[in-house]
Amino acid sequence: MTKTINLTLKVWRQPSTESKGGFETYQASDISTDMSFLEMLDVVNEKLTMDGKEPIAFDHDCREGICGQCGSVVNGRAHGPEKGTTLCQLHMRHFSDGDTIAIEPFRARAFKVLKDLMVDRSALDKVIQAGGYVSVNTGGTPDANAIPISKEIADKAMDAAACIGCGACVAACPNASAMLFVSAKVSQLALLPQGRPEAARRVTAMVRTMDKMGFGNCSNERECEAECPKEISITNIARMNREFFKAGFFSATK
Amino acid sequence: MSWFVNTLGSSIGKKLMMAISGLSFCGFLVAHLAGNLFIYGGRDAFNSYATHLHSLGPLVTIAELGLLTMALIHVLTGATLFYENLQSRPQRYAVNKSAGGRTIGSATMPYTGAFLLLFVIFHLLNFHFVDKTHITIFDIVSKSFSHPAYVVFYVLAMIIAGIHVSHGLWSAFQTLGANHPKYMPVIMMLSLVFSLIVGIGFGFLPIYISLIA
Amino acid sequence: MHLDAKIPGGPLAEKWDRHKFELKLINPANKRKFEIIVVGTGLAGGSAAASLAELGYNVKSYCIQDTPRRAHSIAAQGGINASKNYQNDADSDRRLFYDTIKGGDFRAREANVYRLAQVSGNIIDQCVAQGVPFAREYGGLLANRSFGGAQVSRTFYARGQTGQQLLLGAYSALSRQIAAGKVQMFTRREMVDLVLVGGQARGIVVRNLITGDIETHTGDAVVLCTGGYANVFFLSTNAMACNVTASYRAYMKGAMFANPCFTQIHPTCIPVHGTYQSKLTLMSESLRNDGRVWVPKTAGDKRSPDQIPETERDYFLERKYPSFGNLVPRDVASRNAKEQCDQGKGVGETGLAVYLDFRDAINRDGKDVIAQKYGNLFQMYEKITADNPYEKPMMIYPAVHYAMGGLWVDYNLMSTIPGLFVLGEANFSDHGANRLGASALMQGLADGYFVIPYTIGGYFAGAKLPKVSADQTEFTIAAKEADIRTKRLLSINGKRTVDDIHRELGNILWNYCGMARNDAGLTKARTLIQSLRSEFWENVRVPGSDKDINQSLERAGRVADFLEFSELMVVDALTRRESCGGHFNEAFQTEENEARRDDENFCHVAAWEYAGEGKDPVFHKEPLVFENVKLTQRSYK
Repeated sequence: MTKTINLTLKVWRQPSTESKGGFETYQASDISTDMSFLEMLDVVNEKLTMDGKEPIAFDHDCREGICGQCGSVVNGRAHGPEKGTTLCQLHMRHFSDGDTIAIEPFRARAFKVLKDLMVDRSALDKVIQAGGYVSVNTGGTPDANAIPISKEIADKAMDAAACIGCGACVAACPNASAMLFVSAKVSQLALLPQGRPEAARRVTAMVRTMDKMGFGNCSNERECEAECPKEISITNIARMNREFFKAGFFSATK
Repeated sequence: MSWFVNTLGSSIGKKLMMAISGLSFCGFLVAHLAGNLFIYGGRDAFNSYATHLHSLGPLVTIAELGLLTMALIHVLTGATLFYENLQSRPQRYAVNKSAGGRTIGSATMPYTGAFLLLFVIFHLLNFHFVDKTHITIFDIVSKSFSHPAYVVFYVLAMIIAGIHVSHGLWSAFQTLGANHPKYMPVIMMLSLVFSLIVGIGFGFLPIYISLIA
Repeated sequence: MHLDAKIPGGPLAEKWDRHKFELKLINPANKRKFEIIVVGTGLAGGSAAASLAELGYNVKSYCIQDTPRRAHSIAAQGGINASKNYQNDADSDRRLFYDTIKGGDFRAREANVYRLAQVSGNIIDQCVAQGVPFAREYGGLLANRSFGGAQVSRTFYARGQTGQQLLLGAYSALSRQIAAGKVQMFTRREMVDLVLVGGQARGIVVRNLITGDIETHTGDAVVLCTGGYANVFFLSTNAMACNVTASYRAYMKGAMFANPCFTQIHPTCIPVHGTYQSKLTLMSESLRNDGRVWVPKTAGDKRSPDQIPETERDYFLERKYPSFGNLVPRDVASRNAKEQCDQGKGVGETGLAVYLDFRDAINRDGKDVIAQKYGNLFQMYEKITADNPYEKPMMIYPAVHYAMGGLWVDYNLMSTIPGLFVLGEANFSDHGANRLGASALMQGLADGYFVIPYTIGGYFAGAKLPKVSADQTEFTIAAKEADIRTKRLLSINGKRTVDDIHRELGNILWNYCGMARNDAGLTKARTLIQSLRSEFWENVRVPGSDKDINQSLERAGRVADFLEFSELMVVDALTRRESCGGHFNEAFQTEENEARRDDENFCHVAAWEYAGEGKDPVFHKEPLVFENVKLTQRSYK
């Protein structure tokens, strides 16, 4: 049933990458429990605008949990307290009247803060550019049914491919490691026969780029898996490790 | 050999070194604990085990050098990882909350590891690098554990060792890529059992010795 | 002006092959001398940028998001059609062509739609080769499901995330070309103007959304893949950033806008729950296979659904359309839900919802069977509404979600501005007055992978393209105008926020240019839009500066264009004096309240030419010639 609640927000405000940020406190009054978290921020922003203040900058787009553009750390949790949920799909009914909510940007050396809650996640694109693809040009591909792929493999590949690239795994990892993101792409393409021909080259290049981007090292804390809005499993990390060792020790890749 | 350095020098390569050296310590712990169980056989049994062990001569030296190498790898790589990971998030979160992935073991690895390093040095100084020409190993041990402070310290250290391996063992399998939905639960269970064996198996020895001393 | 669609001659099935052969080619070594601007990185833009770069062209790609993997194509759930006939159920290019033409209520171009059907199979081959994990059968071959408007199983899917997987496939191909240096990627850039030199599209003006800088970029051709304009309604299933600005700016520079009143309203969305709602969420239309749509028989009945006995429920779709029942097409289902709510029979707190009830299906098949079919959808519904659809009927209401209209393009996908190509939802070409499910993904990828790589070469081979530079007056003036406009928005400092005005615009359109339209309402809407537009320029408040990230400013620019564009929509709706597909004028309906087309007078594309500020747009007509299908009246009784 719809009701309204009042909240105290402690929001990270930072005008630009270079400037020093800090927390500001705002009151969010008469928040309908049917609102999504981002709609609650919209309401706060409308009020800030009318009060002559600058609204809180935050990234968002599809607001249905698939584009991966939104994401902040809410009370210490990437995308907030609900399991398997992006921030845009987190609803205010999971909060109680009088709660204080701390909202911070995703933090990692590899993710610079651009403004307030917005961060630069282009490091993830760089990793994909290093090899997160099958090198086929448009046209000239064989018939889609030419290579049968077992349902089990296709399903596993799909589990990995569900990644939305939001960066919550990095944000949640105590070491700001991007292993879950990278392993999801490596796994998807390593599992499928289409990806096998360049598997060694791919995993090597992607892992090296990941390291170069300044992400931390994985120490198997499993926070990424617990926080991932698409619940991607760390079995993908294990698979990437196997692929990496295979490529490093037993392939011609240097 | 650039491929070798490139592979081991990467983040996953470093994990590999941690996993292999860590697993070798787990193996060592098993052997060490098995040997220590002779204490329950009394003074003569334990001393004769020690004599037998030392009669292996160069094999012991090789094993010791091996362990030393592993220790160097484990400590140096671990320290590097700890330092790099600290740097990977220069600005920390104001509020930190686990989503349920971390365990006491995983969250404290660098700290329990550092403590264990100090403990191992202390332990070696106490029991290994001592003049044993006029005293048997059993006497050294029982003399040491007559001090209650020693007992407390050793029991604490063994609990910490248990915590360290509770994460370390399954984590090594994960790093090596041995994660399969059918077997991972078994490995996780094994890790827990092994950490209890280490904690209780080693931890009870000082108490036992102090009781009979 | 004569609109030449440049449809090749010859029999329908041979037109595309013939055209490909007749198009002049560019020598591989010469391709690198051309620079192509591709705006947008959805299915159309991503696939176009990647494919053009593979051919050797130098591509500059632009997107509004932080990475080219997020455009709203990603949200498509159901699947992508292709006439593979893998299910041996008599599918063919011709059948896919016919279904699409008929589904579009006979308001699309035959040649374009046939080409779409012809390349549909190549799309699936291409995506599989890229590693898109389509659903498979146990035997390892691709699985298919059926979708609305077709009697064959031709829809390929990847769980409920087909759009995501196809987009990530295009993104991976694009990433490969970025790494190869053939595509220069510009993220967080919003196109604010098109630059013409000597009558040709030769560049764009973009705002850098991080620094606020107004940048100009030159190229030999501009390919717009900027999606649809459904967000003109404020509440839609589109992503927040979807807008009409790029298309509208091109329109102002001379590209004609075709059929702007053709918008699709999807019947099964989660209803609006409050005034602060920012967007709507679609629930797959497959739910209507087992769910029964009903409202209470008495207006104003506020009892909870389990308290309302069977005799007091009105299963209005089953009552009115006994043969199709709950599975009537989208436009019919939507209009009927609205009608019930208008009579005060709507349910829920706002009274703007109808029930979609699974009680009978659960009693018949058991909860497990229903959970297997729709479990993920039920879960999503529960996440948003906190209601359990296994126990309580879902509440649904129609929502705007796709624009069939768009910039006018010829068979080569070139607009009325030479060198300006328009792909995907941004153009008008393939869906007529109503789009069938699983066809949007097909069209975006067809345009990007398999049409533009050929046709743009034909343009380059025949065009004189003098060198241009960003220092030229055409560019500096355009940049200056963009800057002035931005500064003007910031200087108003009035009393209403951008969202507040956008919401009001959305209400006007929803009420008067939504599911059912009439002349009086449309005329009123036009006046309301005009006065709202004046108010916007006098009373909007845009905080912050133009020198850094300013999301209010971004939205203000988009809403300013929506306020212009919405009038064009209304004018188009007023001019089309018939009902067809998504355009339902109450004055033109059959006795059974169905859309009544007027094939004699309105079997054409309405293309609008910008005539200058404050002037009525100029109407142009592209007659639609149907040589291969017979025009029929749709009935679902």
